[in-house]
Amino acid sequence: MKVLELKDVHKIYDKTEVEVHAVNGVSIDFIEGEFAAIVGPSGSGKTTLLNMIGGLDKPSTGVIFVDGKNLTKFKSSEIIDFRMRNIGFVFQSYNLIPVLTAKENVEFIMNLQKWPKKDRDRRTMELLEAVGLGDRGNSRPAQLSGGQQQRVAVARALATKPKFILADEPTANLDSASTYNLLDIMEKLNKEENITFIFSTHDARVVKKARRVITLEDGKVVSDITH
Amino acid sequence: MITKTAWKNIWRNKVRSMVVIASVTIGIFAGVFAVGVMDGAIKQRIDSALKNEVSHIQVTHPDFRSNNDLKFYIENSDQVTAALMEVEGVEAIADRKIVIGMANTASKSSGVRINGVNPIDEEKVFSLYNEVYPESGGYFSDNVGSGYAFIGVNLAKSLNIIRYIITGEVLNSLAENGIPDEVIQKLSPFEGKRYKNEKSFKKEMRSVLDPKEEAKYGYVIKDEAQNFSKRARLTLTFLDSNNNQTGGRFRIAGLYDIPNSMYENMEVFITGDELEKLVGFPPDVSHLLAIRISDVDDAGLVAKKIKEIYPGLEVMTWKELQPDLAMMSEMTASMYGVFMVLILAALAFGIVNTMLMVVLERTKELGMLTAIGMNKKKVFRMIMTESVFLSLTGGVVGMIVSKVIIMLTARNGISLAGMEEGFEEMGFSAHIYPEIGPEFFGIVTVLIIITGILSSVYPALKALKLDPAEALRTE
Ligand SMILES: Nc1ncnc2c1ncn2[C@@H]1O[C@H](COP(=O)(O)OP(=O)(O)OP(=O)(O)O)[C@@H](O)[C@H]1O
Ligand SMILES: [Mg+2]
Repeated sequence: MKVLELKDVHKIYDKTEVEVHAVNGVSIDFIEGEFAAIVGPSGSGKTTLLNMIGGLDKPSTGVIFVDGKNLTKFKSSEIIDFRMRNIGFVFQSYNLIPVLTAKENVEFIMNLQKWPKKDRDRRTMELLEAVGLGDRGNSRPAQLSGGQQQRVAVARALATKPKFILADEPTANLDSASTYNLLDIMEKLNKEENITFIFSTHDARVVKKARRVITLEDGKVVSDITH
Repeated sequence: MITKTAWKNIWRNKVRSMVVIASVTIGIFAGVFAVGVMDGAIKQRIDSALKNEVSHIQVTHPDFRSNNDLKFYIENSDQVTAALMEVEGVEAIADRKIVIGMANTASKSSGVRINGVNPIDEEKVFSLYNEVYPESGGYFSDNVGSGYAFIGVNLAKSLNIIRYIITGEVLNSLAENGIPDEVIQKLSPFEGKRYKNEKSFKKEMRSVLDPKEEAKYGYVIKDEAQNFSKRARLTLTFLDSNNNQTGGRFRIAGLYDIPNSMYENMEVFITGDELEKLVGFPPDVSHLLAIRISDVDDAGLVAKKIKEIYPGLEVMTWKELQPDLAMMSEMTASMYGVFMVLILAALAFGIVNTMLMVVLERTKELGMLTAIGMNKKKVFRMIMTESVFLSLTGGVVGMIVSKVIIMLTARNGISLAGMEEGFEEMGFSAHIYPEIGPEFFGIVTVLIIITGILSSVYPALKALKLDPAEALRTE
């Protein structure tokens, strides 16, 4: 089942002096349960592409379907809500609210959605355990390592059972051990719970783990290989 | 969740938040305390005016007030009084006969109003009998017999009845009151010398004390050196009912001391019987019926009932008699409100500035929050809540501090030393007991919350304008 469909998506930044064609005619599909990496040199358009998929940015032309719905037609107020229900995000850094504990960060969206406390607690515990942080629920982000923080971010992204998770260079700030650890957890969640992951990276070690590798260059897909 | 996060967020930058909170605390304290002092002073002024000077309702002949002519009296005064006592709410009535005249001593004279009173009734309506200047004697009721007058301290000063002498005793008690030795040294050469009036005494003081010392201790020294001659006499002169000059010699029963120097200078009291004889009034008349009622707030109502019974008489409530006081008592609440709004408006700039910094610093985080699904309304609410917490924390601390300080100072009052004369000329006591009603704290709390909300609008709108994709790209 297609969870995501991009048709001839372009993104042109024209507010600056020189026009930048950041994404230049990308048409790709993703099916449920994929574990896909978007790779490419710096400036090739990875972040721009992921932002458009996640509804944080609008394509200049082209359409994006999420779960059959045309994302580009949404109003900006609808899109926030849609994002909250359907898409999980993990960023390179600044993923967590520093004043809240790991547990509170994971529950944050469930709280905004007014989940009953019992369900919330159960889901939070379940997720923290899934990312191997069952015992660190009361730690604040500053008390966790970079890798642990990213794992909390993955748990938070999963909290409301989104259609897929977008991760923009989730391992860029991590050492090798943490990188492998995070990837293992993502892989496990992908296999065991059939969660779709789309992540961008520079890192060859991360690329090796991906089952599908999409390579961007100057905003164009130059290769799309599924192992 | 948003509330909890907002509360925690304000402690992210402790120093900055503390600075804002402290400024709100200081501002609110300054405002509330100033209001407490003003309100205390005004309440005291009104209280003292009603108790000592005006009572609650006054009944006169309709032409008396405008002409002040002794022929405009109320006839059958006893009967009218008895009838008014039956009116619901009336607690006590004092009748006065009033003539305009002069008070004279050997060296001075002064225009006065001579009130012929019935001391027993007076005590039920007025508290003037309680305001006797220390060691100056007493009120009529202290069995002084006939031929006595009860006058104000200020009049006694202008008539040179109060003199100034620096005795050894005065110097001792000044030392006890904490006046420094060098000041006492400067005064000691004048021991035993008499000064006829305040002016010459002050002049002498000025010649030895430097201006600073005078400002600081002048009032205390003057107060201690005041000397009241018990054998002092004064002559009251006025026109009788046939327009002939008449008068009588009186001894001083005592001096009254209230925080209204104008009243003290003007109003002289003798017994009604004596005035009746001197002027030649017909029996059973009076110029003024001063009425005390059980609840001041009913003054208008009771006055209306009296008017119905005696449409031919002029009936005025204290608010009509003293419109300045009435205005004060009615305008204070809104005046204090405006005062607090001004203070809060100034504080709002600090809060706006802080909240703008917050939004700027957290650009990336706000981008992340919108990305994961926090909508605009919630972002707005979070920033607004933070701003309200900042103002409210400072405000609550400020109000607690004010309440405590007001409670402490209300116990003994605050003396605005050196400002007594100026204050008393306006009818205010310079010894103020600050007070503040609980409802004022309610109003202030609401104002503080509104300030917090308004201060957050601009920064919150800035936060809403953030484009999440852009925000996430910022470093
Ligand atoms: N807001 C913007 N305005 C103008 N140009 C932009 C903007 N955002 C991105 N770009 C440009 O678009 C191109 C693609 O940027 P993008 O961030 O998507 O690349 P990327 O592959 O994620 O790079 P990196 O690996 O460094 O994160 C770059 O040339 C970048 O300078
Ligand atoms: Mg990027």
